[in-house]
Amino acid sequence: MYAQDKSDSSKALSPVNVTAEKKQNPFTAIVPVQLLNREALQQINAETIAGASKYFSGVLIKDYGGVGGLKTISVRSLGGQNTGLVYDGIAIADAQAGQIDLSKFSSTFVQSLELDQANPQQIPIPARIYSAASILSFTSNTFNTSNFTQSKWMAGANVGSFGLWRPYAGVYLPVNKNMVASATAEATWARGNYPYEVVNGMFSQERDRSNSDIRAFQGEMNLVNRFADSSALQTKIWGYYSERGLPGSIIYFNDISEQSLEDKDLFVQSRYLKKFNAATSLLISAKYSSMYTKYTDPNFLNNAGGLDDRYTQNEIYGSAAVSQRAGNYFSFSLAADLAYTHLSANINPFPTPTRTSIWSIFVIQFNKSHWQINASLLNTNINDKTELGSPAVVENKFTPAFAIGYKTKPESPFLFRFFYKDIFRMPTFNDLYYTYNSNINPKLRPEYSNQYDVGLTYLKNFKSGLSQVSISIDGYYNTIKDKIIAVPSQNLFVWTMQNIGKVQIKGLDFNSQANGGITSSLKWSLRVAYTWQEALDVTNASSAVYKNELPYTPIHSGSALAVLYYKNWSTGYSILFSGKRYTLGENDPSNQLAGWNTQDIFVSRQLSFRDINLTLKGEINNIFNEQYDVIQYYPMAGRSYKLSISINNL
Amino acid sequence: MKKDNLLLIVILFVFTIFSCTKDKTPPPATPKVTTGVYVLDQGIYGHNNTMLTYYDFAGGTQTTDYFMNVNGFGLGDTGSDFIIYGGKVYIVMNNSGYVAVVSTLTAMFIDTIDFKKAGVNRGPENVVAAEGKVFVSSTDGTVAVIDTTTLTITKFIKVGSNPAQMVVAGDNLYVSNTGGFSATYDSTVSIIPLNILAETGKITVGLNPGSIATDNGGNIFVVCTGNYGSVAPRLVKVNTNNKTVVKSADSAFGTVRYFNNALYTTGGYLGAANVSILNPEDFSAIRPSFVTDGTTIINPYGLDIDPVTGDVYVGDAKDYVSSGQVYCFDKTGKMKFSFTTSPGISPARTQLIVQ
Repeated sequence: MYAQDKSDSSKALSPVNVTAEKKQNPFTAIVPVQLLNREALQQINAETIAGASKYFSGVLIKDYGGVGGLKTISVRSLGGQNTGLVYDGIAIADAQAGQIDLSKFSSTFVQSLELDQANPQQIPIPARIYSAASILSFTSNTFNTSNFTQSKWMAGANVGSFGLWRPYAGVYLPVNKNMVASATAEATWARGNYPYEVVNGMFSQERDRSNSDIRAFQGEMNLVNRFADSSALQTKIWGYYSERGLPGSIIYFNDISEQSLEDKDLFVQSRYLKKFNAATSLLISAKYSSMYTKYTDPNFLNNAGGLDDRYTQNEIYGSAAVSQRAGNYFSFSLAADLAYTHLSANINPFPTPTRTSIWSIFVIQFNKSHWQINASLLNTNINDKTELGSPAVVENKFTPAFAIGYKTKPESPFLFRFFYKDIFRMPTFNDLYYTYNSNINPKLRPEYSNQYDVGLTYLKNFKSGLSQVSISIDGYYNTIKDKIIAVPSQNLFVWTMQNIGKVQIKGLDFNSQANGGITSSLKWSLRVAYTWQEALDVTNASSAVYKNELPYTPIHSGSALAVLYYKNWSTGYSILFSGKRYTLGENDPSNQLAGWNTQDIFVSRQLSFRDINLTLKGEINNIFNEQYDVIQYYPMAGRSYKLSISINNL
Repeated sequence: MKKDNLLLIVILFVFTIFSCTKDKTPPPATPKVTTGVYVLDQGIYGHNNTMLTYYDFAGGTQTTDYFMNVNGFGLGDTGSDFIIYGGKVYIVMNNSGYVAVVSTLTAMFIDTIDFKKAGVNRGPENVVAAEGKVFVSSTDGTVAVIDTTTLTITKFIKVGSNPAQMVVAGDNLYVSNTGGFSATYDSTVSIIPLNILAETGKITVGLNPGSIATDNGGNIFVVCTGNYGSVAPRLVKVNTNNKTVVKSADSAFGTVRYFNNALYTTGGYLGAANVSILNPEDFSAIRPSFVTDGTTIINPYGLDIDPVTGDVYVGDAKDYVSSGQVYCFDKTGKMKFSFTTSPGISPARTQLIVQ
């Protein structure tokens, strides 16, 4: 994308020597890669990586509405538990739910957000990253630096509708010529009392969302050391605290919810990268993480007079990876990872599970003029133990992946690509050990997915008014077997998990970016993403839902962002849209949920005084006040306004 | 790329948006209620999709979402039970927290009886009627007494924790207390004499009592589901005169009904997916499979018996998330007719419309 001259922090905070952070142009990758750089993240009015990820093709963000509403990502209809999340090179995992609420991660200090289908292609890499069907990774601003001399700082605030107030600040301090320390912090307050319309048949009513408030704080500290042998060590401490009301779904004639959720997350992670020579590299990663969740419902009708469930999940994780180049064309990599995860709760009885996971990968890469090939084999070994009841069976599986890229000529703007990936996800702790049915659920097996993708990319630079055009089109075919599905059991309140689903997914992802200049001071950039998808339930040919669309899977969806730059001004328009979907597996018209689109605009002005930059930005989000649900009965906010101010010396 | 190309892309997008909104469904016809049955389709918890199906005997046709067609709005979330009594239908809306009172012959909405305490849902669950009163059990540990002339709650009777089902036997109302919302289940049945309208005692029957039936001869039958683990499900027979368990056997059932000196059961979650008939004395199987003509029912969920003809209505909930089917069998187990409740989900109760 076109880079603004002074505000482009990616220039000031350029790539590090710690790992190969340098971002390849996503339109030249042999697996589909989508990237939002820092500049684009600022322009799409997204506050967290959840909002930003909505601009990727093939992605469904399950958004329960409001700042505090749960937001998880499903890529190419494979389901939320099949997407891995990686922050600064190390996985963020939740063995309890199997998916992470992306609204926990503010985009304020994020340098880049990337979605990789199948496997990221850089080596060495921790083996765990290969254990997901797709990877959403983001990097922090503070890690990416080759500058060990100049101190930097950044501070600002956003103020918006429905009681939104979000101040933030960050500093970056060289300690000596080989060490840099940085710290960032952000707080969020929101009332979330946005109006919505309840419609029941011919009747409708305007209401304000209640019990939808949140206060959250997140902060991190980083230390980067550079050693004499040119190896490097990064250490990060990340913390998150939030308290929020859970407004619940809209229930006709019953609108009281007093449920609340409290989160306390902490992790410490380190990466050490040593390049022995141009051919051999070693990457050591380690992490400790702790996640505490407290869920309360004073109106739950148990004998204790309400629910107060507390869960603590601790994990210790380590990884060692080596890569070796052999000759001019081949590279090899080996990695082995170990994670030990423990979940405890104040619930009685509770199985208190622990999970020991070992991942190992062997990767071969081949790179020669027209051809790029990446083949890998992952071994996963998962072993659960429980203090009560029977644990899940031990899993030990080998799963392959293969990707190939071909160009007719090395300098050709076209790239053909193909990948195949075979992977599985383990049942989560919630799948296996939730509620009292501990004797039933451990029969669950892993859920398998297969992905096939064929794509074509085009990337060309021009010298005229149009500077760069990139296009990618990928067709894909995925299958899922033994899909883990919740099924109501003895009554409508108790559900059990069963491996009963089979799914067939066909899709087409289209991505395009272009930028250029109309005059020397008037420039533009455009990005468009579109997805066509058909995700069909093929579990049982005699069932009413056979070959029906999976719930909440629109056939058409997409996004676009257009920005104009004039001197120190910029203005942009963005749109997200989704076609109609069904809320249930049975695609009856009564289960249909209308399509929607939201359109946002912004105007931004940058002012500079010596080294200091001041950016002012005004946004109108959902300008046409679209009333819509992503998940039925969890209404989304209509039109809202936001003002931002940011000061920095970047 | 020129500016007009950019414009073209925007136009294409807007076009796609307009072509992707919800399909319109034609409003269904609403035939007049004559003789037939109402079926309560529970829907899915949290989906506001409880529906009433009317099946017309004469025409052999069903109309689902009859309540919506007549009244222009939906019942709400998770209807758990209903009863026809004194020319009115009382529909218990568990998650919406109210009882809808509807005219039997028109399905016209008459009134709502609210089940909130300081705005918080009590969780109304089961309904029975006797001596001009309608009784509704609620998850909050109460049984509400509804005056059928004023359609108001005159009293909340405190019972055990999370009461589920009720039966009137002799001069008493019996309520099974599940305790299902707590870590430890309840195992009692509350006794409420109809002339006192207060709990006078409890009978210990077995862990997690649910469905309950009576032979109108001094005995009640209770399905005790156990804890899905170490404590197995049981069927229990209680002599109400001396309040003692007279017969108990390890067997897994969902619903139990008594008719003409036989117990009709569904297998429920832990049992076999069929309807069987048992001897009420020793629980031996009279007919292990009630169905005799080979009709396949995927998931027998609703079970109701026409007290005059002995016809048996079985609601097939299938996978609990797609449209249900209702089967009517004669007492020999041969299917008389069947109809879909589409788009209604989980047909839980079928009630005869008595003119």
